[in-house]
Amino acid sequence: MSEETKVKYEKPIPLKTMDNTPYWDAADRHELALQKCETCNSYNHPPGPSCSNCGSVDVVWKNHGSDIQGTVYSYVVSYRPFLPGFQNDIPLVIAVIELTDLPEVKIMGNILHGNAENVTIGTAVKMVWEDVTEDRAVPQWKLA
Amino acid sequence: MNNIRNKYAIVGVGESKRSKNSGVTPLHLALDAARAAIADAGLEAKDIDGFMSYSEGDSCTPHQVATYLGVRPGVVKEIVGGGSSTELLIADAIGLIETGQAKTVLIYRAMNGRSGMRMGGGGWSTDLLQNAFDGGSFLIPYGAGSPGQWFGLFATRHMHLNGLTQEHLGHVCTSFYEHAQRNPNAFFHGKPLTLEDYMQTAHLSSPFTKHDFCLESDEANAIIVTSAERAKDGKSTPVKIMGMAARQTVSHAHYWKNLDEVASDYVAPELYKAAGISPEDIDVASIYDCFSWVVLRQLEAYGLAPKGEVGDFVAAGNLRLNGKLPTNTAGGMLSEGYTHGMNNVLEIVRQVRHEYAGTNRQVENCEIGICTGWAGPDIAGAMILSK
Ligand SMILES: [Zn+2]
Repeated sequence: MSEETKVKYEKPIPLKTMDNTPYWDAADRHELALQKCETCNSYNHPPGPSCSNCGSVDVVWKNHGSDIQGTVYSYVVSYRPFLPGFQNDIPLVIAVIELTDLPEVKIMGNILHGNAENVTIGTAVKMVWEDVTEDRAVPQWKLA
Repeated sequence: MNNIRNKYAIVGVGESKRSKNSGVTPLHLALDAARAAIADAGLEAKDIDGFMSYSEGDSCTPHQVATYLGVRPGVVKEIVGGGSSTELLIADAIGLIETGQAKTVLIYRAMNGRSGMRMGGGGWSTDLLQNAFDGGSFLIPYGAGSPGQWFGLFATRHMHLNGLTQEHLGHVCTSFYEHAQRNPNAFFHGKPLTLEDYMQTAHLSSPFTKHDFCLESDEANAIIVTSAERAKDGKSTPVKIMGMAARQTVSHAHYWKNLDEVASDYVAPELYKAAGISPEDIDVASIYDCFSWVVLRQLEAYGLAPKGEVGDFVAAGNLRLNGKLPTNTAGGMLSEGYTHGMNNVLEIVRQVRHEYAGTNRQVENCEIGICTGWAGPDIAGAMILSK
């Protein structure tokens, strides 16, 4: 990544916590890791200290690789930057994406470079990773 | 909750001045509202032996309010909570009275919601925000830091699945703004809104325009709850609590896993069972309206409009004063003022009491009212009141 890109990134960078570090570590490697409960077999996203479905502490991380497809489950188009760093991204498409292979998992992100009018519920998208610092990357989406 | 039908009543309601910049602390606002409610009930401060409040770190403590009213109550309780907390605290007050821990409880919400800490956000460190919300690091890096965006995600999907349109949101707004024109204390009194104006207003965050957002204001409201038995000795017209219900649902709002269910869907059957009535029996409504869409979703959840026809229901003018279900008759949080749900409680009490009799604000022959709270899609409370 160029020096120029690095200083330009003014948006919040995902904070790694004791419960979500495997997710963001995988994102930095351009991979998707999801937390799965071994007791009830459900996926937890966002991840937590235990299963949000059944409370079990028997949770593990599953790597789903780099080829992640989904469809738009819902979205908003934001015309005001409610947070710093988004001034140049207006209109900003914030979407919740349903994973094609795991419909129970929904992941929020922005749909990059897609005109808002091309987005509707059901629109096909694929995950891409935006390198935001030397060692951090943020999962995003683009029209498939 | 055990059957408490008609055993408890709201006997006093009161508010502080409403403004954009109160120039005083929330404690001053809370004391003004408390004194107004106590006077409305025809009580003295020393008759109150329980003080309760909810806030999100922006208020004053019940201990302070009691202290500066010169009262040393048995019970003070404060909870962190959003817009369904009035119902949750009334249920707590009933529990305290049932078990003899208190006799008469004052519940308030005080906030410099415009000049102080704004619910709509702004000015906070984004790292702090990521920590403040469960799952915050999955929202904030994407620019999703405002309730308008979060609720918009629920709204877009619901509207898509149910054929609801921007006009339908507009009918909610214009109906409430119309009520505000009859209420001299409403923030948007003198600022009418036509559907044409509404449709020409730009989105802030689709599908919401500025008119679809509640307005933030500096204000406090208070209500007083006691037993129906004790209420007979008071000077005000008591409004009986026929039934109430409140609950959390499994899906945390910030998990986005299921945008199709909301807590109100689960509160509704419990509520009608507790009150022993059905939606058709309701004459007047106060529906939590932090956003216009939230009203549509609750009308559906509480069975107040035919399933699948909520849009047609509001477009037909049914939320207006002469409609089938006059709703948020003081203007609601979209156009009267915003105290995190409480100003709508005051209004439903006044309607059911027929306090506006002889004016153009009174819903004729209204005997039964519903008041709903919404702390987010995942937590809701509601109560049914009658004269
Ligand atoms: Zn589980």
